[in-house]
Amino acid sequence: MKKSSIKSSKLSIAAKTIIIIIWIILSKAIDNEVIFPGIRSTIMEMFKIMKSTGFILIIKSTIFRSLIGFLISLILAILMGILASISDFIYYLMKPILNFLSSVPTMAIIILALIWLNNEIVPMFVGFIMVFPILYETVLNGILNIDKNIIEMAKVYKVNKTTIIKDIYIPSIFYNLSTVFTSALGTNLKMVIAGEVLSQPRYAVGSNLQLQKTYLNTAGVFAWIIIILLISKIFKYLMKKLDDVLKLNEWKC
Amino acid sequence: MKNINKSYGDLKVLDNISIDFPENKITCILGPSGCGKTTLLNIMAGLLDMDSGEIIGFENGDISFVFQEDRLIPWKNVEENLAFVLRDKVNKKEIAEIVDNYLKLVGLEEYKYYYPKDLSGGMKQRINILRAFIYPSKILIMDEPFKSLDMDNKQILMDLVKVGNRTCIMVTHDMEEALTLGDRIVILTGKPARVKEIVEG
Repeated sequence: MKKSSIKSSKLSIAAKTIIIIIWIILSKAIDNEVIFPGIRSTIMEMFKIMKSTGFILIIKSTIFRSLIGFLISLILAILMGILASISDFIYYLMKPILNFLSSVPTMAIIILALIWLNNEIVPMFVGFIMVFPILYETVLNGILNIDKNIIEMAKVYKVNKTTIIKDIYIPSIFYNLSTVFTSALGTNLKMVIAGEVLSQPRYAVGSNLQLQKTYLNTAGVFAWIIIILLISKIFKYLMKKLDDVLKLNEWKC
Repeated sequence: MKNINKSYGDLKVLDNISIDFPENKITCILGPSGCGKTTLLNIMAGLLDMDSGEIIGFENGDISFVFQEDRLIPWKNVEENLAFVLRDKVNKKEIAEIVDNYLKLVGLEEYKYYYPKDLSGGMKQRINILRAFIYPSKILIMDEPFKSLDMDNKQILMDLVKVGNRTCIMVTHDMEEALTLGDRIVILTGKPARVKEIVEG
């Protein structure tokens, strides 16, 4: 176990080194800071951004928008998923809505959102339309795919309905959600930033990406991308720690 | 149970089955596989409706059921799986005591905190059987309970069935098991199942 984790961390370092080498070679070959900035200018730009006033506020605003949006998607997905599993009417009502969200180009919905909604809300809405369907389907499948044999067993032993919901249905929803939680959180962050690029809220990572592009400061764009990568890495790390502490997946193979 | 009939579409599975189950005795039901024994047990436990017939004495009593598959809850460890059926019947402190005692009885006390995925098929089956024993009931229904067990464990559990003070109904296709345990042995025919013979042990 230990040996393989050392091996995989060695491989991971090697892969990252290769990417950096390719970056260096490409930037040297292209030799144009506007089209493809080098590592040096990107890092310098990154420090400049980090030292600038308002940096913390920008990061805080984007993370806040992302988390609030995610929470709304999560709560609505759990609520609608449960209702759809109980009521056929809700199930069939949700079907065309989900089809609409998955088949209409996201950009078209975003344009409507830009017309209808305030620019602080648009990024959250953009995150919502991507993440809500994933979470909703997960909750619904978590309920519908419960092993009927186990429910039958609980009925034979005359286990209370509340106990069945508490000990079988809720854990099943929860464990299903835990499998997509981290990736949904990451997708949500990406979409919120995309929404910010379009709706330009005052303090936002997306607004600043757009600003750097307007100035043709590609190194600045690269620097913000790296900052976004760091944020999502921190998200992932925190989720993993949470999983370790709660031991959510200990029972799985 | 009297004149039980059951069909799935055109396929008749149970044909006019009448069996008396003497109280606090073990009745073994023998029959070829696929003849409808599990259907019969499911009707007794109220999991399946019959087409016609009458069942007396099962209505209000609590039933313990050893399923053919273990039916353990994967995210609950052994202790929690056993406690699950007692939660609404017994207080917490007592549950812990009962679970400990029974686990000791079958030599699985060290696996108390194991999850089903870490147990062998035989161990899971022993927990399935234990869950039925732990549950306070007058009737114990078992569907080929000893199928995946080795001789030693089978013996321990068979002794437990023998000393238990319940009306026990066990389906098996192992003649030896039926002869060892059964106070009464009911032999069924193949499709559709009819009572062929009732032998008093």
